[in-house]
Order: sequence, then structure tokens, then C-alpha cells
Amino acid sequence: MASRIPLSQRLLPYLYIGPALTVACVFSFVSMGISLWVSFHHYDAFAGASEYVGLDNYRRALQSDDSYFWLAMRHTAVYVVLSVSGTLLTALPLALLCLRAKAGQALFRTLYFLPSITPGVVLALVFYHIFGNYGQLLDRSWTALPALALLGVWAGAGYNMVIFLAGLTEIPQHLYDAAVVDGANRFQQFLHVTLPMLRNTLVFVTVMTIIGSFQVFTSVYIMTSGGPERSTEVIAYSIFVNAFAVAGQMGYASALAWLLFAVIFVFVFLQMRVFRSRRIYD
Amino acid sequence: MPRLKLLAITALALVIVGGVIARAGLTRRWVSHLGLTETRHVKLRIWDWWSASSNEEYGDYFGALEDEFEARNPDVDIIYQVVPFGNYVQKLSTAMVGDTPPDVFQSSVYWAEGFYHRGMLLPLNNLLDADPALPGSPAYVGESAFLPSAWQHNHTEATPGRPAVVYGIPQIIDASCLLWNLDILQAAAGEDESIRALFQHNAAGVIDWDRIRWNGIESWDHFREITRKLTVRNEDDEVTQAGFLLSASSGAGLFSPWLAANGGRFQDAAGTRAMFASPSGIEAVEFIARLYWVDRVCPPFRRQMTDSEIFKERRAAVVAAGTWSGKDITRDTMGWTHFGKTAFPPGPSGDGPATVTWGNMLVITQRCENVDAAWRYVKFVGGLEGSLLRSVHLGYNGPRFDFYQTDRWQQALRERPYLSNVKQICLAGDKLRHTEIIAVDHQANPIVESVLLRYPEIIEGRGPYPSVEVAMKTAAANVDNVYRRYNEQVASWLDSRGEAGR
Repeated sequence: MASRIPLSQRLLPYLYIGPALTVACVFSFVSMGISLWVSFHHYDAFAGASEYVGLDNYRRALQSDDSYFWLAMRHTAVYVVLSVSGTLLTALPLALLCLRAKAGQALFRTLYFLPSITPGVVLALVFYHIFGNYGQLLDRSWTALPALALLGVWAGAGYNMVIFLAGLTEIPQHLYDAAVVDGANRFQQFLHVTLPMLRNTLVFVTVMTIIGSFQVFTSVYIMTSGGPERSTEVIAYSIFVNAFAVAGQMGYASALAWLLFAVIFVFVFLQMRVFRSRRIYD
Repeated sequence: MPRLKLLAITALALVIVGGVIARAGLTRRWVSHLGLTETRHVKLRIWDWWSASSNEEYGDYFGALEDEFEARNPDVDIIYQVVPFGNYVQKLSTAMVGDTPPDVFQSSVYWAEGFYHRGMLLPLNNLLDADPALPGSPAYVGESAFLPSAWQHNHTEATPGRPAVVYGIPQIIDASCLLWNLDILQAAAGEDESIRALFQHNAAGVIDWDRIRWNGIESWDHFREITRKLTVRNEDDEVTQAGFLLSASSGAGLFSPWLAANGGRFQDAAGTRAMFASPSGIEAVEFIARLYWVDRVCPPFRRQMTDSEIFKERRAAVVAAGTWSGKDITRDTMGWTHFGKTAFPPGPSGDGPATVTWGNMLVITQRCENVDAAWRYVKFVGGLEGSLLRSVHLGYNGPRFDFYQTDRWQQALRERPYLSNVKQICLAGDKLRHTEIIAVDHQANPIVESVLLRYPEIIEGRGPYPSVEVAMKTAAANVDNVYRRYNEQVASWLDSRGEAGR
């Protein structure tokens, strides 16, 4: 069948995706490749000099006494747990409430979505002052990281709510009707109909939130600079500091970035495997 | 009717656009040059984090600088490019990789040494040697023209057989200082002779309430006593007027001038060893912590509200700040000038008032295409005329000796009495930590912050460190690692440039 299609028509789709693919290649894959290359070197952009050091940068990150990699990973993991659980605990209930709203659903959707279209820097500055005036959450080392996670949840709740809302509207009404006939109460309907039918959406939201949370940077940079007492030093911030604040450490920073990539990759891979093993109801 | 409406809207738009152009600093100049034939063949690209668009003063300063310089150098076209301070290193890095660095840029002492080691900056020795300007003349920009504290940041250390390499010409001189609210001091002086004694007296022996003595505080104990007197608490024991302000997160920045006043140094001159974990350093950090926890002269540590903001709200008697900050305080408080500056009082191991200084400088990049034009510009800005322009438009004091002999400086002292001690403070300054400052701060600040935030726990043996000494030694060991890696890096850069052994 395909062979009867003229070559020009067969090439047409590639022409359409060509510009986007080129941009993706140049600005994503090529730069990723360069960063991988840099991670095996001592590299300094100013001096324009590099020296091959093999796995030294990775070894230093994982084993050196003065490396903050594990500390930063620990903080990042806490942040991820807080923000993923926070997101699921806020975005889904918000979507359910929004779905049931008889009037003003569009208004609620818009209001909740607003933080998602506000620049992260602006949100960070606003919350910097809110947290400063109410509770001084950023002044204590044990509240600073949860405070940043709170901002992350608040900023992402609206966007994820819209995703959940889309998923919820896709669930056929007859499944709820059948559940009612079977005597299921609201909680049972949620547990046995809504949640299973939302599984793909849940996977998507969780994966995206995990990826985003692992890369948290703006709020840390603007609000705490990794403090107090290094309690909010997350891995992306650590990468930034080493790349741009310390002379000749671009290779080390790149190694940190690839270690972060590896961690995210493993998490997402495992998650996809676990969730893919079950079929969703047709 | 619709046509009338259209005309009205068009007229309004023209008025707004015209107003913006008229008020927009450098834009005025751009407009006045419209239609003129381009005769300037040398384009000199200059980077700065100072921006003509910051406010009118900066707009006027850059406008005047450009007008004056271009009038005398008809072949040169100045192109200013603003780069935010926080992004300077990243932007320069990108520009170097992209082979589009500026010809000249203002370099903070934060980066200057590192830029030189990387081979980015043009050594200026030959240009200085060949310069026809005579020592003592307003155009001379050699060492003897500048305060020693301004000329200690812009060159490498001379060693036997290897003279110092000059890589920048100082543009400003700044120092850490203690900033005193003279309203609060004057009010407290009525009942207290020891506070009255802090003020200068005029020729007739009358107290000058606008001027504080630069060395009026004689010791740390004296400082403690005065700040206690100036601290006011409400019935809930909350500090409503702080005797002193402490920002724990400032870390090394907060601690360095006190260390200098106690006879200590943050690092060695060659940038190979941290020296702040010495007995005088431990004494300094303990003194600061005790001001907060024992003397209780400070409000609670806050990250959100900067010291400067609290000082501007007149809720603090003393704060540590840069000597540069006076003009900003005056601007932000709609004209308040009743404050004064002193050096840091000597600690138990110190031998007089002291502080740390920094002199940001103009540098020429190695890839500058027209060194002659760049040098003319650097000389103009670093010469007396440049200092005077910065004084007139921006309220800066100058890094040059001859600046302090000018009528302009006398006028500035009359208009802004808070400048009266600035020269002495700057002269009393030791060199600010200078090697890999950002990386060093990243290592040292969280530990100093921990000591300040958890001092009582540390003293009781249940803190994150068993003692202040251990904490400081840990910080010093981490900083030593930064220096070690940096020096290895420098050696490899020199090696790659065939300059090994220099």
C-alpha cells in the first residue's frame, strides 16, 4: 500500500517535522552530547582549555569528602516526595471539586491555572515575602525546604488540575451508573472507577512532577540560595554553582548534571514499567 | 467625531512617547545624533553592571562620560552594554566561547584575579610604562595616583625576579563600614556622655551632630556597651530598635571586617590557604555570635528583610554596610542624610580601627581589537575627571589621592556629611578576600551561618559542630580545597598557554 504513495508525499511529513527536529537536535541532543563530553574533562569556558580526566568528575561527585552531591540528592529527594504527594493531594481533589461545580467552572479553572502561566521568578519573589512576613519559614533550616515544596505544589496545582479534569471528563458516565446500581457509595466509586480510569493521567502527572521536581532551581536560587545552613541545596542549584561560580568546574558540574539525568531516568523508567504492567479498562 | 477621537489619541500617544524620550537619559543623546553622518570608525564595546537605565543619576553619568570622551576622541564610538552583576560570569563565559567578548569592562574584585589567571585580561604594565602622563597629573593612572587600598586588588603579587602584573585600573574604592543612625545616636546622647563622645567637635569645640568620629569606638567591649544602650525592647521583650543588625546568611562577608579589625586575615596573599580559622578569627565569630545571643542587641535573624532595609526604616542604630551605600540610602529615604560611617573597632588582638576594602576596576580584554582606544577610555574613567564625574552624578568618593584635594570633594562633604570619614575608613582597609570568592563563600558561609544560628547549642555541646573552633576549621579545610583545585586549574591554564612556571 505504502509503495503506491509517491515519494514526494512520503517525504512530506518529514519536511513538516524537519524544523522542529532540527531545533531539538541542535539545542537538546547536540548540547547534551557536548555536556557529556565536558563531563569527562576539566573544562573552562573562559580559558577555552580542557583536559581529559576520565571518570574523575563522577568519582569526585560520588566519593569526595567535600562533595555535596549526596546532600543535595537527599534534599532533592525530600523535595520530590513533598511536591509529588502535595500535587496529587491538591490537584486531584481540586479537579473533582471543579468537575462538580455547577456554575463558574471556567472561572475556577482559570483562577487555579493562573500560577502556571506566571513566571517562576515572580512567584518566587512573591512567596519570598509571604514566607518572610508570615511564619518566617525560610529562616529555619527544617522549614525552608518544605516551604519551597509548598510553593512548587501551589504553582503546579492548577496545571495538574486541568490535566486531571481532562482525564475525569473522559470517564464514561455508564461506569458510575453501573457502580451505583451495584450499591457503591461515593468513596467506592472514586476508588473503583475514578482512580483506575485515571491511571494514565496519574502516571503522566506523577512522571512530569517528578521530573520537574528533580530539576527545581528557580525558587531555590531566588529565595534561599541553598540556605539556611545549606538546608535547601538541591542538585540543580549545586550544578549551577559549580558551573558558573567556580573556576574550571564546568566538567564537574556536567558530571553532576548527568548523574541527575541518570537518577531521573531510573525513576521514570521504573515508574513506566510498573504502571505499564497493568491494562486499563477499555 | 471618530476623526477627532483618532487625532486626540494620536496626540496623546505622541506626548507620551515624547515625554519618555525626553526623560530617558541616554536616549536624549541618541535623538540628538539622528541624522548625523557616522564618522567614528572605532567601536568600543564596554560592559558594566552599572546601568544608565537604573535611574536618572546613572543615566546622566553615562551620558556625561560618553559625551566628554567622544568629544575628545572623535574616532571612537562608545557602545555600553549592561550585564547584571549576578549574570556577569555566565555572560562573559558565553561571550568568550562565542568570541564576542567586550573590549573593556568593569570588573568586580570578585572576579578580576580569576579572569586574569584565565588569560582573559590584558596586562597593562606596558601601557602604563609608555603613558606620557606624569605622576601627579590628573591623567596619570599609575600606582602613586591611588590610595593604597584601591591599588591592592588590581595586580598580581610581585615575587623575586617577577614584577607585579597590573590588570586593571581602579574605578572606585569601597570598604565595609559601620553605618550609624545619627538621629538615634543624637537622641541617646542627651543623657549619655559616652555617646556624646562619639561625635566630632567643630573648631569652637561644639559637638557636630552631623559627623561621627571615624575611630570613636575604641574596642569591641566599647561597641558592645554602646549598642546595648541603643537597643530598645517593648514590654514583650522584642527588639523594637536594634542596637546592631546581623545577617547570619552573609557569612564570610559579615565576618571579614571584624576579622580584619582583630588583626586577622581571611586568606594568604597567594590564594593558597585559608587563614580565618586562627584564634583571632574564632574570637571574631564568637564576638558576633555573642552580640546576638548574649548581649541581645539584634532583632531575630531574618533572610527576607535585609539589614539595609531595616536601617532605612530607622529601626536600627548600627549596621555593617559598604561605604558606597550612603547615596542609595539617601535616595531611598527621600533625602535622609543624618547617618555616619566608621571603621570597625579593634578587637582584643587588633591594633586600631580596620576594615576590608575593594576597588572595582576597568579592565581590557585580551581580544580587544583597538587597545589604544580602550586604554584612552580606561585612562579617562580612571583619571581625575572620571572620579569627579562619579562624584557629581553618583555621589561616589574617589580611589585617587588628588580627588580628595578638589573643591568638588569639599562640596560633597558639605552636602553629604556622612562622607566625612570615608577616606580614613578606606585607608584603614585590608584587602578583601580575593581568590575564588563565590566558591569560597559557598563553602564558608553555611558554616559561619550555622555557628551564628546555633551558637547556644554549639556552646552546650549539642550543636552541628562540637565547638566554634571545629566549625571554623571545617570551613577553612573546605576553603583550602577550593584553593587547591583553583591553583591546579591555574597551573593547567598557564601550562596550556605555555606560561608554566610563571
